[in-house]
Amino acid sequence: MRRRVVITGMGVVTPLGCTVDDLFTSQIEGRTAVGPITRFDARTFPTTFASEVVGFDLGRFVRDADHYKHCGLNTHFALAAGKAAMEDAGLLDPAKGDRTRMGVYLGSGEGSDEFPALVRGLAHASPKEGNGPVDSGEFIRVMLEWMDGPREGEQEMYTPAGHLAETFALDGPNQACQTACAASSQAIGEALDMIRWGDADVMVAGGSHSMIHPLGVSGFNRLTALSQRNESPRTASRPFDLNRDGFVIGEGAGLIVLEELEHAKKRGANIYAELTGYGTTADAYRMTDPHPEGRGAIRAIAEAIADAGLKPTDIGYINAHGTSTQANDSTETAAIKSVFGEGAKKVPISSSKSMLGHLIAAAGVVELVISIVAMRKGVVPPTINYETPDPVCDLDYVPNVAREVRFRHVLSNSFGFGGQNIALVASLFQK
Amino acid sequence: MRQHRVTDTTTNSRRTVLTGFGVINPIGTGPDAFWQALLAGTPGVHTITQLNPQHLPSRMAGEVRNFSAKSLIEKSYRRTLNAMARTVEFGVIGCQFAMQDAGLTKGSVPSERIGVEFASVMGATELDDLGPASKHSIQKNGVEPDMAIWGREGLSQVPPLWMLKYLPNMPACHATILYDMKGPSNTQIPGDTAGGVAMGEAVRIIRRGAADVMLVGGSEAKIHPLSLSRFNLFASFSKRNDNPERAIRPFDRDRDGTAPGEGAAAFTLESLDHALARKAKIYAEVVSSASGVDRGLSGTGMARVIRNALAAAGIQPTDVDHVNVHGLGTVRGDAFEARAIAEVFGKSVPVYAPLAQFGNLGAASGLMEMACSVLALKHGLLPGTLNHTNPDPACPITVHTGAPRPVTKPYAVKMSYTELGQSSVVVIRRWSE
Repeated sequence: MRRRVVITGMGVVTPLGCTVDDLFTSQIEGRTAVGPITRFDARTFPTTFASEVVGFDLGRFVRDADHYKHCGLNTHFALAAGKAAMEDAGLLDPAKGDRTRMGVYLGSGEGSDEFPALVRGLAHASPKEGNGPVDSGEFIRVMLEWMDGPREGEQEMYTPAGHLAETFALDGPNQACQTACAASSQAIGEALDMIRWGDADVMVAGGSHSMIHPLGVSGFNRLTALSQRNESPRTASRPFDLNRDGFVIGEGAGLIVLEELEHAKKRGANIYAELTGYGTTADAYRMTDPHPEGRGAIRAIAEAIADAGLKPTDIGYINAHGTSTQANDSTETAAIKSVFGEGAKKVPISSSKSMLGHLIAAAGVVELVISIVAMRKGVVPPTINYETPDPVCDLDYVPNVAREVRFRHVLSNSFGFGGQNIALVASLFQK
Repeated sequence: MRQHRVTDTTTNSRRTVLTGFGVINPIGTGPDAFWQALLAGTPGVHTITQLNPQHLPSRMAGEVRNFSAKSLIEKSYRRTLNAMARTVEFGVIGCQFAMQDAGLTKGSVPSERIGVEFASVMGATELDDLGPASKHSIQKNGVEPDMAIWGREGLSQVPPLWMLKYLPNMPACHATILYDMKGPSNTQIPGDTAGGVAMGEAVRIIRRGAADVMLVGGSEAKIHPLSLSRFNLFASFSKRNDNPERAIRPFDRDRDGTAPGEGAAAFTLESLDHALARKAKIYAEVVSSASGVDRGLSGTGMARVIRNALAAAGIQPTDVDHVNVHGLGTVRGDAFEARAIAEVFGKSVPVYAPLAQFGNLGAASGLMEMACSVLALKHGLLPGTLNHTNPDPACPITVHTGAPRPVTKPYAVKMSYTELGQSSVVVIRRWSE
């Protein structure tokens, strides 16, 4: 018997606030968090702005912040969001419930190289004349001296999910995935499957990521994926607008507590929504570009709606992936039209990224949280910076102003570099 | 009553079997060469040759020698090699080997019904990709990068596709393109447990009906100046540089750490129905898996994960032919695994630690080590563990050493873990018609 799964806790760390309330209020008011990069001096980069989490203090979330001093932002953000979600669900006390039946599934980013040490080592071990190969032996010699061992150990990709388990006594299944911008949605979808079929009763699922560091921004700039609207960062993220020119890099984390329905009822948990549908497909097309007709996206969306036992007409709001890149927004529009047919024009669609920027591995979960609050409050956030319609993006993107809409089922899309397409459906909880 | 996902052996569509086998390993590539090397106890850990190791505290590794992605990769895909780091090359070629061995080509399974689960990590940057930009952008003092110069001039010396060479999900991405696989595609990253949880998730995907075939693989290439520098700073590596072949000593009183390896392991996993319908050769059945966390590496948490996996398989400890451990040869890690095994099995079960032969393959370790048990069950012989001579009272288990012993029971248990206690267990069964 497939078991029902509900959401009983939510926690976020975002550029628009570190509580769900702050985040949602900002979204409804159409505020943006995009501004000049402060994490490092990016003034000469092709892109000089980002959507940063500012004023973050891990000490406000965990008792012994010093224990995590060598960890990266990935882990810090995950711990803060995890704390908020566990507290919200009433599961923070490790004596509560069977902890061996509570697990973690995190879509998390990679650690980062220590940029100054790396550049220093590479420059030192490069030939004095010309651009010959770096002397690896000499590079090793100096890097052993210039890198910090404990810091490096904490950059390993298993650590954020491991620290979540360690900190919140989550002894059940522990997984972490990295499928680029789809990661946290995929983590939530697979965690849903684990609870449905009995591998766990509670899964703390979502994602955490920060790539606002010199190599992260350099890498995306070389791929020409980022907006370069340096003269106007606040209007740079403009999903579905004709003049969009790339995504705005963001950072943050989101974790939600997924819980088997009877388990939640038995302990009188507050239920935000039911997670009803999950679709997962691959494009099998190219490394970075989505398939132009959205063939993988179409199947992911259709599968998620069918998995929820619904028809496209039941979906009252779509929280789009909406990255503000030329390729994504036109492809996603085509995919929605293909699945929804005539109904595509009637369903409100918006992109949280117009205000938040792109939280990469953490994007999907934060957008699902926004979707769920929107559904509960009956008001959907707008797509801001929407000025000039694009003839190939001709749907209702809730331009610039939030809108009151009553609906019972929401679709949230996430598509990642590498061709992973994830769609999730959440529904108002009904007995 | 706890609900376990108990294997329903009456429904073939919910049973999953391994039908294709691809390994790129320091001791041998391909199922036959690899098996012969396992049986012979061929040592694969030697002094590092791919780079100058003289300044490393630990200078040994299991290296894959004479690996040429260019000669192995599908011709149509050769031009994409410039966007692949070595770890991605291993992964993609490992997938090719598994698909070839399974007799599967592009289109032989409807594209929506085949997907991929891959165990991976972020690759370390090739030094020469960032060397010129770094040299150009370093300040006069030789210490700090000049960010203004890096942004203005250095950055343009970084190869355009630089980031794509290293992203963890690239082996899976390339595999989906090569074989037109449009089912689920996921990339697992929880360190040495990644392979085990990838296999577990692939089984779940087939059981829930989202695919008929899953390509399950893992790869890693840490024999790299940046990776080795980093790992030597925090990992427990053996310092037995004068005797590399005997450096990794699993559960031995004199063990002093592990050594890294590199390579890839990949399988095709199919629903039994699908495999039988196309008359595929079957290596083994993947019966169940479990995952959990043993905070503090007490052993009790890992024992629970083992019990969960056995319960999900519907079997008792006495049904298990052998336990295939991670067996790093570290003081703390081996004692942890031994406590868990002792708690579930006592001293009665033979323990097999193949890693001593080829090093720790990291993200590829779980599936590579599992591959050894797959072959053992298939051939009916369990090879001996290398370099275990003096038992350690802190490891109260029976390590199988020496000559191969006959397989006497149908099941093998594969364990993996991370330093933070993340644990994964997979149960496989010898295939018999």
